[in-house]
Amino acid sequence: MTQRLPLPIGLLISQTGSYCAVGRAIHAGAELAIEEINASPERSVTITPVAIDPGGVLSGYVDGARSLLQEHQLRHVVGCYTSSSRKEVLPLFEKADALLWYPSHYEGFETSENIVYSGAAPNQHIVPLTRHLLGQFGARGWMVGSNYIWAWENNRILREAIAAAGGSVLGERYFPVGDTDLEDVVHQIIADRPDFVFTTLIGQSGFAFLKMLRAAAEAAGIDQPREMPAASCSLSEAELPLLGDAASGHLSSSVYFSTIQSVENRRFVARWTQRFGQMGQASADAESAYVAVHLLARAAERSGSTDFDAVRNAVRDLTFDAPQGRVTVDGDSLHCWMRPRIGRSRSDGTFDILVEHPVALRPDPYLTWAHDARDGNVRDLRLIQ
Amino acid sequence: MSRAIQKNFRGLRALVIMAPDSGTETLERTLVKLGLEVTVAAVLPCTDGGPLPFDVVFFDADDGGDSALDDSAVAELPLIALIGSEAPSRLARVIQHRAASHILKPVRSSGIFTALLLAVNEHTVRMRHKQEMQALNRRLSGRRIVMKAVMQLITRCGLSEEDAYDWLRREAMQRRIPMEDMARHAIGLGPDPAQDGGPQHGRAPRPD
Repeated sequence: MTQRLPLPIGLLISQTGSYCAVGRAIHAGAELAIEEINASPERSVTITPVAIDPGGVLSGYVDGARSLLQEHQLRHVVGCYTSSSRKEVLPLFEKADALLWYPSHYEGFETSENIVYSGAAPNQHIVPLTRHLLGQFGARGWMVGSNYIWAWENNRILREAIAAAGGSVLGERYFPVGDTDLEDVVHQIIADRPDFVFTTLIGQSGFAFLKMLRAAAEAAGIDQPREMPAASCSLSEAELPLLGDAASGHLSSSVYFSTIQSVENRRFVARWTQRFGQMGQASADAESAYVAVHLLARAAERSGSTDFDAVRNAVRDLTFDAPQGRVTVDGDSLHCWMRPRIGRSRSDGTFDILVEHPVALRPDPYLTWAHDARDGNVRDLRLIQ
Repeated sequence: MSRAIQKNFRGLRALVIMAPDSGTETLERTLVKLGLEVTVAAVLPCTDGGPLPFDVVFFDADDGGDSALDDSAVAELPLIALIGSEAPSRLARVIQHRAASHILKPVRSSGIFTALLLAVNEHTVRMRHKQEMQALNRRLSGRRIVMKAVMQLITRCGLSEEDAYDWLRREAMQRRIPMEDMARHAIGLGPDPAQDGGPQHGRAPRPD
């Protein structure tokens, strides 16, 4: 038996703090991949993780990254969730010649040579969702969001697409992260009766909003899922159990849903349920971290090295048959080719997949090629249900 | 009302005047990702007085090669300075060239999109202001002629000042010519511009 290459990695993931539910799913996804790789006799690397919990605060990320890169001398770290955390630690990775394996969808407008992005780029989540909403429901939208970059940028893209379609934005409101005092905005939305509601509220604000909207719509005699759906680019299986009676009928744009029918996903979901079933269904965040670790292991195996340069070269154009389907790392941008999908949530905590792109879509982090969905081209989405 | 900003740079032609090093590579790679066509050159290419075939110019403000930018060919393009040294003598050059934005060295992929977006949009505003200024200057220098024509219309035709002015304006609009040209014609200093079939023919009406 040949000697396996030791691959030490850092995990910089917040399992405590304001977005701990997502953080735990990300951590679990990475753990699952590490266990799978280490247990497989066919693999030629053995991963040893060093985990640091930044607690969801920026200073925690900086201290954690410094510790992993300097004290532990690691060259590969899987972690960060919010864009602010990623931007905060990036200079440390540049200085240390290290790679951050970033496992979250985000708003784009970045292509660092020190980051491999395994989550969706904007042309893979907000752009397809925009087309779906305008094509299926109408061009009168209401936008509600948590007051930070994720919401502003997604709403900017949607607003421009609505304007280009000759529609109108009936309202646009932002709330501090965690705010649940949303009665007024819910009443305004019910009064305005938009064709759809786009929400970028995160965490507790998001749960409170979807519950209130459903209750107010029912009281007003509106079949909200059919006539005025709430759509987002972040609602996942990890959050549906927290919505209670209001869990079903919401639209979500994501490259992964636990209900994807494939051999790889059935195996992933079975292993997830066995190992982390108490956390709920497998979700996009968990799968994205799982993909990041697998890409890292494959790149190390391909190059026979754990060096920054060697692994970064090896990861370019690398493919992996992930639970979501075949994922390919784009050689130029270090983002991934993936298939956008749109799901509608069910009361059992999973999603019906309504729409999926027929093939993996090239990542376009600056929306240079997809631009802002203004071309109205819908042929790249396939309605399957 | 604010105008829409330009944020997609697909197809723009960038000239990078910079000695090749890792910073040049990072800049070029990132610009290509943004959809630009990139030409790297150590010096400003010779155009024999014609316009430069580029839409945006990046120049190294440290190495002295920027003196070529005094060429007026670059004046009509958005300039982005790559700055390492913060010595005032170097920064003075950046100001002289009227760089619309800058990138600090060492060049990182972060910040290039911002510098490009700021420069292109700032340049658009500057060009608009320049055009507005030219139009205002033109009108200012024609003011004496207009006043002279108004005075003549008052004394010779017995119009009120307001009617005289309105008449000039209406005639100018009908002929689709600047009011100054109409005034010149009215006081006999030039042929009727609408009749001579000259360069004014087919000219777009000018908002006044």
